Amino acid sequence: MLVKFRVNGDPVEVNLKSGDRLLVDVLREDLQLTGTKHGCGIGACGTCTVMVDGYPIASCLQLAAMCDGAEVRTVEGLAGASTLHPVQQAFVNRSALQCGICIPGHVMAACALLEKNPDPTEEQIRASVDSVYCRCTGYVRIAEAYREAIALAKTRKT
Amino acid sequence: MTPRDPRLPSASGLLVVGKDVPRTDAVPKVTGAAQYVADLHFPGMLHAAVLRSPHPHARIVSIDTSAAATMPGVKAVATGGDTAKRKWGAFRPDLYPLAIDKVRYVGDEVAAVAAVDAETARAAVDKIQVRYEVLPAVLSLDQALAPGAALVHDDAPGNVAHQFGFERGDVSAGFKASDVVVEGTWESVRQWHTALETIGCVAKWDSGRVTMWCNTQTPFLARGRYATALGAPESQVRVIQTEVGGGFGGKSGDDNASVVCALLARLAGRPVKLIHTREEEFLASHPRMPMRYWVRLGFRKDGRVMAKEIKIWADNGAYTGKSQAILGAASVRHDALYKYPAVRGHSMLVYTNLVPTGAFRGFGNPSADWAVEQAWDLAAEKLGIDVVELLRMNAVEPGDVSPHNHKITSCELKQCIDKAAHLIGWKVKHRQKQPHREGKEPAREGKGKEPAREGKEPARGLGMGCSVHVNGRRSFGDWDGSSAIVRVNEDGRATIITGEGEIGQGNLTVLRQIAAEELGLPYEHVDITRPDTDVQPHSLGALASRLTYVAGNAVKNAATAAARQLLEAAAEQFQRPVEELTILNGEIGPRNGSETEFRPVGAVVRANIYRRGGQPIVGVGTFDNPSEFPDHNRYGNESGAYNFAAQAAEVEVDRATGEVKLLEVAAVVDCGTVINPATAEGQVQGAVTQGIGLAMIEYFDWWNGQPTDPQLKDYPLPGAATMPKLHVAFADSYEPSGPFGAKGLGEIGLDAVPAAIANAVADACRVRIHELPITAEKIHRALHPEIYANENVPPPAAPKGGMWTRLSAGRPSGARPLNPQFVWAASVEEAVRLLAAGDAALVAGGMSHALRRERTGFPQAKRLVSIMRIPELSEFSIDARGVLRAGAAVRQQAFSEEARVRTHWPAIEDAMESVGHIRIRRMLTVGGSVGPLIGGFDLPLALLVLGARVTVAGPTGRRTLKLEEAFQKRFAKDEMVVSIEVDPPPARSASSFIKYMARGVLEIPTVNTAAAITLKADGTCSHARAAIGAVSWKPIVLDLTTLAGQRLNEDVLRAAVQGVRAAAEPVSDVRGSATYKREMAVEFAYRALANAWKRARHAIA
Repeated sequence: MLVKFRVNGDPVEVNLKSGDRLLVDVLREDLQLTGTKHGCGIGACGTCTVMVDGYPIASCLQLAAMCDGAEVRTVEGLAGASTLHPVQQAFVNRSALQCGICIPGHVMAACALLEKNPDPTEEQIRASVDSVYCRCTGYVRIAEAYREAIALAKTRKT
Repeated sequence: MTPRDPRLPSASGLLVVGKDVPRTDAVPKVTGAAQYVADLHFPGMLHAAVLRSPHPHARIVSIDTSAAATMPGVKAVATGGDTAKRKWGAFRPDLYPLAIDKVRYVGDEVAAVAAVDAETARAAVDKIQVRYEVLPAVLSLDQALAPGAALVHDDAPGNVAHQFGFERGDVSAGFKASDVVVEGTWESVRQWHTALETIGCVAKWDSGRVTMWCNTQTPFLARGRYATALGAPESQVRVIQTEVGGGFGGKSGDDNASVVCALLARLAGRPVKLIHTREEEFLASHPRMPMRYWVRLGFRKDGRVMAKEIKIWADNGAYTGKSQAILGAASVRHDALYKYPAVRGHSMLVYTNLVPTGAFRGFGNPSADWAVEQAWDLAAEKLGIDVVELLRMNAVEPGDVSPHNHKITSCELKQCIDKAAHLIGWKVKHRQKQPHREGKEPAREGKGKEPAREGKEPARGLGMGCSVHVNGRRSFGDWDGSSAIVRVNEDGRATIITGEGEIGQGNLTVLRQIAAEELGLPYEHVDITRPDTDVQPHSLGALASRLTYVAGNAVKNAATAAARQLLEAAAEQFQRPVEELTILNGEIGPRNGSETEFRPVGAVVRANIYRRGGQPIVGVGTFDNPSEFPDHNRYGNESGAYNFAAQAAEVEVDRATGEVKLLEVAAVVDCGTVINPATAEGQVQGAVTQGIGLAMIEYFDWWNGQPTDPQLKDYPLPGAATMPKLHVAFADSYEPSGPFGAKGLGEIGLDAVPAAIANAVADACRVRIHELPITAEKIHRALHPEIYANENVPPPAAPKGGMWTRLSAGRPSGARPLNPQFVWAASVEEAVRLLAAGDAALVAGGMSHALRRERTGFPQAKRLVSIMRIPELSEFSIDARGVLRAGAAVRQQAFSEEARVRTHWPAIEDAMESVGHIRIRRMLTVGGSVGPLIGGFDLPLALLVLGARVTVAGPTGRRTLKLEEAFQKRFAKDEMVVSIEVDPPPARSASSFIKYMARGVLEIPTVNTAAAITLKADGTCSHARAAIGAVSWKPIVLDLTTLAGQRLNEDVLRAAVQGVRAAAEPVSDVRGSATYKREMAVEFAYRALANAWKRARHAIA
């Protein structure tokens, strides 16, 4: 089965050998986009979070076949050639990472929130941070990175 | 400290150490470029799957691999017969790479397959036939120690793997001289590291040498152990550390995964990748070792500690790994925390047929602190001394020597205690509590009291715990050293060559800071290599909080040597004595010289190389921990320095449910000089979080020696929403033997957290928890013993479900290939027709199919029929009459984005909130959640109390019925949900939904409840409904007709929900016992009703 969709703006065509292949596997294996991580396979940890049509989803529970015609964004699609996305820059600035395996998920969750809502409340930030597990940081710096990303995005616009 | 150039702002100022420089690994990690082991790919690479034992203890009668070996795509099948049959292990070699003759726990590796893809490998594993003779198993400490118990290993009589004892000082005299003696037994629990990256390896053989890309935290130690297991000399095994996605002790080379991977690669003659599935990580990685810890403490009435005695029985699991060292730490380490004059102990490591245990952040200390720090809290209570004062009074100080010869050098424990108490507001809050505590509450509420009454005000409490940790430890022989090379390149930049590695803790960054500071280079001018055992000097890696202190000193020494060579080269070039020169910010010049006299370091290096007899600048440094190799009975100064911490916690206990809300935690650490504040803070924040998980969140339900559902579903981790307000601070401290005064801090933040929380719980509600984890149910049981007095506990029964079937059949390796066809249905009629063929399954969001695939691994359908492109199913509207309609394909997120849902049908809004995250709401559909008619699901229960109707389509057409009726009668197998409809709420009405999960995120809650209430204009009740899910097969719908016409109050509502107790038929599981669930069903039915009533009154007002 041939599925056509866009990943980070580029058109891709994937021939699925099985109708129930998962988006996370297609990204990592067929498209070599290994920035998206496989953490638990049951939608619990959020490390596989990517954006589909502007919303964050768990790519480990997303049938790739259903992405036909969709706009998929992964962590590889955020940075420019020489500049990081404000969310990425904020994670760097705040040292909001340790082992880093969950960070693509956190970065995508943050992008999804801030693109829909550039000025979220503390509660909305907390809910978004809560959507992805991190076993290392205790989330304090990740929440700080959200706040810094909001500020960075504002300065970049002006 | 090296003397500094007078041009610096202050003569002792540090330029790089103490600064928040950017982390070395930050950019690759935020862009997805960082390469973890699962991201590696080589031409011709195969994928591995492992067959594991489904029995806790069995003899292998025969293994037939022929059907697997002949499967197309399978390139190698390995069993124990293909191995060197050599046992391996850190201290007590007792583990074969693949089982020989016997399996000793559920998860033991029996056979493995390498195939062209992971699906084929997993399918091939299913075809391996193993005949087992099941043996009696010992599944607990008590079973293992019982006379005549089955032996896990024939060479360990009584199942004792290791034991030792000590008496140092006169313990009997100490107790005799004591005015107050406290004692108790505390039990800890298996906690999994649950690094979000599982254990993995890629192995590739070339001319008899193997290269193993591993996510190990100890590359050289791993190399040594893997060489033993493979029967190869060490130098023929090359271990390259990939990016490590979390270690915490779990990736320190005690598991079989990498060895099996290398075996398969040798057999197949091709590179092989083996990555643990999440299940395998729970079944076969080596979690924290649980202990039964008895402790007795004696005190003089002024609070001075006089004697301590302990007895420990530790559940080793089936194989030993590092557990005997862990037991050692649990036995003696704590004695370096307080001024114990005399200590006696006996410790026993016991084999069981359970998953082997191993190193986990804290390394035995959390189990010791869980017991002893609670005993100190008990003592404070008995002595009538504030525990903060008691701990402070007995805290060790610089110059103290513990009974085991731990020599305390720098120590700011008192400062830690003071700061932690200050940050949590100890004095103020305790003073506020005092009025309530006068007359001393009884330990438990009296029987005459109505439990309901106690639920009104939550109880607050404060607790504290302290801990001590090593900075490296002599464990693997009489050496705890590190060596490093610092090379200064001809461009003036330096390269640190060290094999210590990075597992996320920030070590690369810290070592770069140390070298830059010592060399006089800017931080950005110092690079560092990643571990490759072919390249770097021997090193022990990330364990025992040793890297900042041990590796930091080695790197500093190497940098000192390189700097000296640089200065000597410059002296020749400048024609000045060495003492007159200095390196500053990447330049060399005369002290007190003007800027024009300085030359770039690169120019000096280049000139030193390119000349007759020239040579590069290469500094070599080594450092061996100034410690002693402890003897069998653990006498010896384990480490050259010790770090300390104090943790304070404030909790709020809900007396009606037992739920503990962790309000604040303050953690103060003495780690000497803080080299990198952001990283140090992050280490403590993360360690505290894992301590919270250990204390309250992370545990499994067990059956026949294995977790019943080894997934992140039953084993949640602390998420951001569960986090308390967290204060982290550092003591002002300096360790003379540390690099720039620094000590380690990787583990100390975790150790005393569970004890601090338990002490706070005891302070709040007079309930002392002796057995980890601290659950709401345990507290509820202690607060309300009368409820449980006549509890009828049915005999435990085997779990059910596809997951369990698969695991108990010995197929624990995740999804199998199904290869179904995917079809988009264009209309409801087409979908119904396709469904009627009998070989198809409907998918809406697709989540349930993906979940089933992952978890049960068994084929469900040949065809997947998606309903997501059927236009009418995407309808989401509120019509002129105010009727809400949602098609089956509508994503639940749509409810969250419609403002009128919140105002008109708040129960739906509550349900959406409890679903959790947008990520899941965006995937869940109306059809997917309503179709299965499960009362434990959120949306359908909320819809039920709102009187929703559901339209379904089948071969004979469509029908619309009340959702409540649908729950009673079910849908036909060939019917599909088309849409749901909810009428506008009547005037003066409101609704509510509550999901009670007791901890974390689980698919099905302990109980969920929904209620709707309509009031008359005079405020009396016109109509009320309530439904309770997850405590019986169908939702319980309460008959509340008697409320009509009544003036409502709390007592009326409480009386109205009492029927739930009899109607509920809950099953005991990981979410709670049947009795607890029944009580919670009553409690939360009341709370949902009360909340709806409150909202309705608000609507009137």
